[in-house]
Amino acid sequence: MAEIVDVRRSILEANEAAATQVRGQLARALVVNLISSPGSGKTSLLEATMPAIKDSLSLAVIEGDIATDRDAQRLRALGVPAVQILTGGACHLDARQVLKVLAEGHFQAPDVLFIENVGNLICPTSYDLGEDFKVALLSVTEGDDKPFKYPAIFATAQVTVITKVDLLPYVTFDLDAVKAQMRSLNPTGSILLTSARTGQGLDQWIGMLRSSLDAKRRAPA
Amino acid sequence: MHELGVAMEIYRISRDAVAGHGAGRLESVRVAVGELRAVDPELIKFAWQATVAGGPDAGSELIVDWHPAVQRCETCGADKARDTAGWLPLCPDCASPLRVDGGLELDVLQVSYLREEEERAVSGGVG
Repeated sequence: MAEIVDVRRSILEANEAAATQVRGQLARALVVNLISSPGSGKTSLLEATMPAIKDSLSLAVIEGDIATDRDAQRLRALGVPAVQILTGGACHLDARQVLKVLAEGHFQAPDVLFIENVGNLICPTSYDLGEDFKVALLSVTEGDDKPFKYPAIFATAQVTVITKVDLLPYVTFDLDAVKAQMRSLNPTGSILLTSARTGQGLDQWIGMLRSSLDAKRRAPA
Repeated sequence: MHELGVAMEIYRISRDAVAGHGAGRLESVRVAVGELRAVDPELIKFAWQATVAGGPDAGSELIVDWHPAVQRCETCGADKARDTAGWLPLCPDCASPLRVDGGLELDVLQVSYLREEEERAVSGGVG
């Protein structure tokens, strides 16, 4: 006869436990989890961000990709420690992978850790990596219907960055329609408009990072 | 979406649960899956079979208790069924954000297994 064992355990428990450990180890750092579709400009935003803050803040980057370490190479070229996680096909990063990178000692505890997730608007939304908040990126070439088409990430992200806004004159992208969708899905989230190419909006993006780090460090533990 | 990764976690938790009671082979595993977890019930069963195939627990069954989304509109003051045409977390009547009261379940509930010695007895093995 079969034996029955009551279990009642969360399927994501191992990820949740690892995320808690990441938070414990990086209690003084700002940890940002960047999520978007492939090609919306996550790495380009980071490349444009680094020169402006790397002298005043210690930085580190964890790159998640299915294949190649191209993104990590681009950031290392700017003098920032960047560790590539290759998922070999998996569609999202898991907090256990982040924890492993921290244990390997590639960098000292930074002021800001950017985690660039695998390019995917769906799966990464479900996995807490121990971040302070998620940032969703949406490039103007992707179309203005994406918040409602991928509601989970746009409802969850504390900050949504509209990228490649220098291309707005050349594409059909109704910014007001995106803002209306975002007001419905995520009334407390903020929206930033950036262009990594022209530098537009980078001051606001960097200001948001600095004030988030300050707020975290001022908050009672 | 990532059903294979979820299936592998279910397997890890299930083996762990059996290991706490001695050796045995999995017969079935019951899980709770909420509609808002983006885990498809048929795909997760398929992923389970792929996970256990060729191993000691091959042929074991994954039983899915499906939990529909329960969402409440605080503006209308009523529970709202999921708008399956739009699938947005917004009230289909007044477009206010919905409060989620159910549909986020993702748990291993129960594991059923055959003890190793019983299995040998059943198969008339030589122990």
